[in-house]
This record gives sequence, structure tokens and C-alpha cells, in this order.
Amino acid sequence: MSKIGVFICHCGENISATVDCERVAAEAGKMDGVEFATDYKYMCSDPGQTLIKNAIKEKGLTGVVVGACSPRMHEPTFRKACAEAGLNPYLCEMSNLREHCSWVHEKNEQTTEKAIDLVKMLVEKVKKNKPLNAIKVPITKKALVIGGGIAGIQAALDIANAGQQVIMVEKEPSIGGHMSQLSETFPTLDCSQCILTPRMVEVAQHPNITLYTYAELEHLDGFIGNFKATIRLKAKSVDYKLCTGCGACTTKCPNKKIPSEFNEGLGMRTAIYTPFPQAVPNKPVIDRANCTYYQKGKCKVCEKVCPTGAIQYDLPDQFITEDIGAVVIATGFNVLKTDFFPEYGYGKYADVLTGLQFERLASASGPTLGEIRRPSDGKVPKKIVFIACSGSRDPAKGIPYCSKICCMYTAKHAMLYQHKVHDGESYVFYMDIRAGGKNYEEFVRRAIEDDGVNYIRGRVARIYEKDGKYIVKGADTLLGSKPVEIEADMVVLATAGVSNPGAEELAQKMHVSYDAYKFFAEAHPKLKPVETNTAGIFLCGACQAPKDIPETVGMASGAAAKVIGLFSNNELTREPLIAVVNRSAPPVFSTCVGCFMCQTACPYNAIEREEIKGRDGSVIKTVAKVNPGLCQGCGTCVAFCRSKAIDIQGFSNEQMFAEVMALMNE
Amino acid sequence: MEDVLIEKKPAIAGNSFSGELQKTANELLQSGEVELFIGYEEGTRFPRPCFIASTDEVGKLIFDDRCTGNLAVYLTRKDLIGDKKVGITASYFALRSILRLLTEHQIQLDKLVVLTVSAEKEVIRFATTDDITAYLQTAPIPVREDDKALIEKLNAMSREERWEFWSAELSKCFKCYACRAACPMCYCTKCIVEENRPQWIQPWASTLANIEWHINRAMHMTGRCADCGACGAACPLGLPIHLLSHQIVQEVTDNFALDVNQAVSGDNALSTFKPEDKENFIK
Amino acid sequence: MGRLGGALMSEFEPKIVAFVCNWCTYAGADLTGTSRIKYASNVKIVRFPCTGRIDFMLLLKAFAEGADGIIVSGCHPNDCHYTSGNFHARRRWVIFRGLLNFMGIDVNRIQFSWVSAAEGAKWADVVNGTVTTIRELGPYTEYRKAADYLVQQDKSIIDGQEALIKSVSSL
Repeated sequence: MSKIGVFICHCGENISATVDCERVAAEAGKMDGVEFATDYKYMCSDPGQTLIKNAIKEKGLTGVVVGACSPRMHEPTFRKACAEAGLNPYLCEMSNLREHCSWVHEKNEQTTEKAIDLVKMLVEKVKKNKPLNAIKVPITKKALVIGGGIAGIQAALDIANAGQQVIMVEKEPSIGGHMSQLSETFPTLDCSQCILTPRMVEVAQHPNITLYTYAELEHLDGFIGNFKATIRLKAKSVDYKLCTGCGACTTKCPNKKIPSEFNEGLGMRTAIYTPFPQAVPNKPVIDRANCTYYQKGKCKVCEKVCPTGAIQYDLPDQFITEDIGAVVIATGFNVLKTDFFPEYGYGKYADVLTGLQFERLASASGPTLGEIRRPSDGKVPKKIVFIACSGSRDPAKGIPYCSKICCMYTAKHAMLYQHKVHDGESYVFYMDIRAGGKNYEEFVRRAIEDDGVNYIRGRVARIYEKDGKYIVKGADTLLGSKPVEIEADMVVLATAGVSNPGAEELAQKMHVSYDAYKFFAEAHPKLKPVETNTAGIFLCGACQAPKDIPETVGMASGAAAKVIGLFSNNELTREPLIAVVNRSAPPVFSTCVGCFMCQTACPYNAIEREEIKGRDGSVIKTVAKVNPGLCQGCGTCVAFCRSKAIDIQGFSNEQMFAEVMALMNE
Repeated sequence: MEDVLIEKKPAIAGNSFSGELQKTANELLQSGEVELFIGYEEGTRFPRPCFIASTDEVGKLIFDDRCTGNLAVYLTRKDLIGDKKVGITASYFALRSILRLLTEHQIQLDKLVVLTVSAEKEVIRFATTDDITAYLQTAPIPVREDDKALIEKLNAMSREERWEFWSAELSKCFKCYACRAACPMCYCTKCIVEENRPQWIQPWASTLANIEWHINRAMHMTGRCADCGACGAACPLGLPIHLLSHQIVQEVTDNFALDVNQAVSGDNALSTFKPEDKENFIK
Repeated sequence: MGRLGGALMSEFEPKIVAFVCNWCTYAGADLTGTSRIKYASNVKIVRFPCTGRIDFMLLLKAFAEGADGIIVSGCHPNDCHYTSGNFHARRRWVIFRGLLNFMGIDVNRIQFSWVSAAEGAKWADVVNGTVTTIRELGPYTEYRKAADYLVQQDKSIIDGQEALIKSVSSL
């Protein structure tokens, strides 16, 4: 038999000004199963809570209803008070008499009547509440960081420096990512490699970090604290234990005409290669698709020149599995290539470049050793045009968003050009200048005012080649759309930042959501920017949306803090408000019939198959089982289940049914 | 009496297509590929289901336009088929149900030989679900003319008239659950009407409890119903309850652009969604 | 007569139940409260974790138990706390509403809406709008008649039983 206690709060006068609280308490006292009912000025105050605790002990209450403010406000408070008095906290419910009654209705009979009904609903519900215990999930204290760009590096170092184990997976032969390709960085113009390479080395040498380069995530199973990651180690054809990184192979490789990814196609590399001189690890891999031996069956020059016998042609891809507690996705972004733009020559003009290609031209480690020269003829361009928003903010091209970093790097490019080519003329076509950020606006002003970059507000309609020049035809909208025509030697397109190819596939492997542009989706745009909708998987950097280095690093540290926080406990405690599939005695075992419709309904892939086996090991029945680590408690599966075999704790069928049935009874 | 009738029939003969069907069933049983064959035999008034475990009995088998009962209903009856390998003569609608039962993990194709007889009187054996899907797309869908007239009548009614019609019809239901027994999709271990914590639907037959039962039955058919009409045909009172599940089929087609063949062979229409799904009533 | 009828109608206070999700509409209704926006007191809110959790049977039960109108409300599409519960709910309501309408159950008595945690004023509008609609439609006695088991039984049997009970108790 239920012994329910009802506690009506006046909330000062917030409730009692329009609701007759004494009467509500008196009426509640008459309700079926109510043992004790009272009202008090401030139920959440210390004496108020003591009142509840004493009643629980003295009257032996089996459930508590607090008629006060919104449960979103004080449910934890009152549940804690109940727990302190020895009552299971999940046997306490709140009736919202303030936000949903006293504050929104006039003072009259009906308002008090409604308050009584609201209390009655929760009294009926709480009678069906069951004691629940918080769910404990063990945690494997090892993080998987996917991507070895600045985001992944920062996250990995932060986690590793906090004393936790990290596995970093990078698909390229070296870590460093796009940042390693950059020349100087805005707004300080410090050299990108100078600030990045020490961190790359730190990753490689850190005792808590295991680095897998030329590797990809193959498969991810499990749930927060308990993931199992399968990692594909792509065959490098070089035994890294033997290789000393002397470089003899890369110098002697006869196949030297392969466009270098690191130099964005502006330089060449060999078939056995390290992507760039400062690569980490500084050991080569064989690009099998371009290697003469793999393609034609003979060559083996690298094997002959290798002093340590490290070349091993028939090494296959290897797979390793690792137990992981949390994942940080830091897979970065990409930029549109020039061939995306028919109006700018479909990528067929050698001197129409992307911003990233210009970075390589301006970089001291680049193909021109930092001199700005035309890829077509090696001449120094005397007139250069930069086009901001190439693709971005253009719904017609399918990229309606702002790529965020282009305004700043375009100003930087123009500035670098002016610094390197003193007699050069530079023009920037722009839509708006978006320079929000510390010292950003000042940086753009410097480009315009100190370095004399010509900013033209308007779009470029077309670029065509004429007598070795590129004719850039645009308009200046600040001069009433006056047509502008510039004869340029070089054009740099600030092409839109887009998601990496393969991002969608990776998201599906990990069951995280992504947006219409295949950028990974954060769990909440404001309050959970580094979480994904899958517990235990975090995000940082430009894989979520284009962003600059400081923002990426900040986000990476944020994601790392989440991982470190998670790993600070041995067990994870979760609210037990999750779905459960019933189990019963043989021969039924569960009323679940195993149609698994609930599996597609679950947003979290929390529903698994469980085989119920007989003593001889034969499968009697396959039924659904909810993984308590993954379930977030939405209850969508519960409303689907035809035979009500699945129910949700805290909002169970019995509880909701009782609440609704109580609602209307006079 | 009926035994006598059957005995009079030649072992393997009858009209040509029954003959071919009998031949196929005979081979399947003889080779041991199936241990039990589910088909139709001649009944007193209509063909009725028969379960053949021996080649001696294959002469009973018939298949014609009158064979409309959905035999797929027996495929989930463990008491009847146990772990046996089963052959079945499936009507057009039963094929849909078989697809659905496969999707819902209730039957396995490796323990099942699915046959049908085409309009050209050819016995077709399906090797894969894709074969079944392909057949369903090309074969003519059997139509039920009497339903059409009633649906048109209902559509012409005002809401109040529809309510009068259905509450009067369903008030007659005495919850014999013949509709449930006839439906291949009603294979749950525990039906919603047997659930008593909470007691969602009162166990007795009253207008409300009957309406609630039939709404539940129809809702539970969403994206699963083969639109075979077996529920209505099974009703001893002749209540047109199959129109409720037919309406669900219609709603799925109209709203989610899934025709019934697509709906039964894919993920469930209600446990999946598209962000761009349309509705006109949520404000 | 017309005036009397009108007066009687205005005295009808519809009973309305709202089934709402915890994260958007419940929070939105909290905001209505903190903003002190007044609305009709006819509505009582039942809190669910998500619209995906709302069983269609609860709507039928509410009608059977005396509700004249129902509000079902949750997060706007793409705003679901659980990413897709509301999308599933939307499909469920499309089918359910179609079926109810086919059976002649008055779907105009069920107001479906999306109310976010920021839309306190919208919540008040949804409630007031629903109260107005239901007031015009009148009490949903039509459905409740089906719910009244005793009324449907043969009067003579009940009378006979009562007579029997009387005669027994008078012994």
C-alpha cells in the first residue's frame, strides 16, 4: 500500500498569491494512498527540506510529490533530500504549480482546482514509480584521436599531459595536417612550421601517445567508456623498425614526377616519399599506385640503396583493435579546387590558384622556396588578384555558408605578396570583410593602409586568358557596380572550406551525425559544441565547420578537457532513466518477439540483439536488449513496441498511464 | 465425408496448374528438401489450408483464384511447424507477408521454399527476396471489388456519419480475435490486449474497448500490412475491419511515398523517417 | 433562445490535456510562466522525455477519460534533444491522424504543434487557440458515449439485476 507524502510549496507568494496552497494540501491529504500532506512557505529551503526528510522517516513514506516550481528547476534538489532521508530518489516527483499554474493563471477557484489536479496526476504517477539505481559504467582510460592536424595534436597532447593514454590515428604518412602547409599565420605572421613542428615532435616522443600514421579507423563498436576500435594500418612497404630515415631511397627513386600533395600539386615527389622534410615520423612510405615496381613488376631501386634492408614490398595492410574509452574526431577539412569554378577557367589556367596553393608558394619550404613565382613560367607576378568568397556564401553553388577563414588569409596573402614583391600591385575582390577576432580587424586595416592592398567590394564574373595575362572582369559595388577589369599575372581564389572526402563514411562508422555539408554535427550548437550526439565521442577543429587555428586549438583543448573529465573517474555514473527490454521466466524469457523495429527507431544505436540460449547452448530466442551505456532515454522505442516489451524507467507505461487516467477523473 | 471426396481425386492430376503444383510439392517432399508443405485443398464451400507431410497427400493440393487466405500466417506458428523445413504455396498477398516476416527476422529463407502460381498458371519458385520483390512488381494485384464500393461510400460520408458507421459496426465486435489469428503479422508473444500492466484496453467487449483494439491493430500494421484482407474475411460478423488496415496502407503510400510492396520489404515506415517528411497539421 | 444557447456555450469549459516533451515544449511552458504570460487554465500538462515517447494510446485514453481536446507538442524539426524523436513522432501522428479521421474521430480536437524552449508566448497562444477551438466544437460527448459501458448494456438486464439485488437484500 502506498504511503505518499505531498508537500505544497508557497514559493514565498509566487504560488500562494494565486493558488490556495492550504486547500491544495488539504485536498491532497484526502487522495487515495496519500499518508501525509502539508504546505510550507519555502519547500526548497533548509527547513522545508527537513520537513520532507522528517516526514519520510516518521511516516514511513513510500513516495513523495513536491508541488512547487518546475522539475527542471528543483527536481535534483528534492530527489537528493529524499535520498538523504533514505527514500530512493526516483520515488520523488514534482508537480509544477508555479510555472504551469500560479504564474500563468489568475487568482480564482479554477486555478486552485487545477493545482489540485496537477498534484493528483503526480500522486498517481509516483505510486507506480520504482526505486532505481544510478547506472555505473566502467571506463577504459585510453582516448582515440582521429586526425593528426593541429586539432588532433592539441587534443592528444592535452590528454596525454593529463596522464592519460592516447592513440592517434593519421591517414597521411605524417602528422601536421593543413597547418604544416601554411606559410605564415594571421594575425601575427609567425611562421606556421616554427610553431607547429615542435608540437609534432612532442606527439611522437610523448610516452603516453601511441602514434599510427598512414592508418585509418576501420570500425568502431561499443559505447562511452567501452569502445572497441579497429584500425587499419595501411601497408607502408617500409619496416619502420629498421628504417633510419636516411633518405637514400627517396633521392634515388626513379619515379620523380608525382604531384606532391603537400605542395598542392605545385611541386613533385617520388614514389617512395616522406611528404615534407619536417615530417613526423620522418620515414618514407611507398605510394603503391605510383610505384614502378608495384605497377610494372620491376625496379626495386629503393631496396638496393637501402642500407638497413628496411624495404619490404609484400607487407600487407594490418588491422589492430584497441579498447578505447573516448574518441576525439579531429579530421579537419578541405578546400574546393579551382576546377570547381567554370567562370574562373575550370582549373585549366596554371596561374589561377587556390589559397592553399598560394600558401605553398609563399612558404620558405615550398616549391619556390618562398618566392612568389608563377607556376606557368616562373616569373614574378607584378599584378595579382585575390578573390574572396570563391564558392562560399553562394547558395547557387551549394555552399551557402561563410567559410570564415578566407577574409583573414586573403588579407595575409596580399600582405605577404606586398612584402615579397615590393613593386607589385595587389587587388582583393570581396563581398564583406569579416574580421571578427582579436587583432583581426587591425590586421586587415594594416594590409589596406600600410601595405597598400587595393580592396574592391564586388564579385568577379569571369576570368579569361589573353596574351599571357588573366583578364579579371568584375564590378565595384561601392561605385554603383562600375565594371572593373584588371590584367593580372596571377589570380588566387579563396576557395570555400568543405568537408573532407570520406567524412560521411567516417560519421556512419562512428554513428555520429553530420550536417547537410557533411561536417560533423555537435550535440548542441551553443552548449555542447565539442560533444557529438553519441556519448563519449567528441569533436574539434574544422571537421565541425571551417575555423581558424586559435579557434581550433581552443576547441581541441575543450574536447580534451571533456575526455580528461570523463577519465577522472573509474566508473561513469548515469541517470537510470533509460529503456529496458523485459525479461521473464522460461519458456517465454521476454515478451520481445525480436522484430527489431526498435533498432531503426533508436537514434543512438543502443539496441542490441541478445541470444537467449538453452543449457545445451542452442539459441532459443533472439530478443532486443538495451545497452545502458548508449541509451539516452528518449523512449522512442517504447512508443513503437507493439507488445510493450520495452519500457522506459522513470516514464514507464504504467506511470504515464496512471498520470493520464488521473487527469480527468473528477 | 470430405475424405471420401478427396480419395476420389487422382493422385496427381486435376487441372493443369494444380498438377504442376502437385508435381513440385511431390518432388520437394520426396527429396526431403521440405518436410512440411503448406497449401490449399478443396473445402466444403471454399478452399482451405492443408498441411502435407507425406507424398501420399499431394493430390489434395489445389491453387486457383478462390485461394485467397493468407497462408503466411502459419509460418510463425512454432507449434505447427517446429523446426521443420517448410514449403508454401503463397498467394500474391502471402508473398508480401513473407517479405515482411523476413524483414522482421521471424522466418529464414534457408528453411523455406516459397512457391506461387502465376496468372499464366506457371509454378514459380523464389530463390531470393529480390525475386519475390520483382514478381510482386510485375504480377497483377488481385482486386476486391466489394471493398471499393464500401470505401467510396465511406469517403462520401461526413465525419459524423463515419463515426456513426464505425462505432455501430465495432460495437458488434465480441473480441473473438479471429482477425488476429488470421493475420500473418500478429505473431507477438504477448498482444497489446493481453497486456495488463497497465490495462491499456479493457478486456471485455464494449464499444470503446473494441474501437481501441481495432485502432491498435491497425496502427500496429503500419508499414507491415500486406493488404490481403484476411482479417476482414476471418471476422465471423463480417465487420469490414480490413478497411482500417487498408486505410493505413493508403496513408503510408500517400504520406511517405512508399507503396505497399516497398513498405513491406524495407525498414518499417514508422521506425524510420525522412527529415523532409510533409504534414499539414502541426502548427 | 439563440442568446441562451450562446450563453450556455460560453459556460462550457473544455478539459484539455497537453502531452509535451521535456526539452522544448515543457521548457517553453516554463518560460511562459517565468514571463508571467497568462493563458486559459483549462490545460494540464503531462511531461514526457520526448515526443517520440508519446504513445498514441494515451491520446485515446485521454478522450475516453473526459478530455475534450488534446495538445501534442515538442521540439521543432531538427531541434530534438534526442536528434530524431520528433521525426518519428511526426510520422506516427501522420498515420494516426489519418486513421482517426477515417473512423470519424474528430481530429480537430487534437492540436499538434512545435513549441521550442524559447517560445513561451507561442505556448500561451497554442493553449488559448486550442481552448477557443474546443469551445466552439463543444464537449466531446460523442466519444465518451462509446466509453460508457453501462449505458450500452441492455437496460432491461441492468434493471433486472438491480431488482434481483433489491430482492436479495430485502430478504
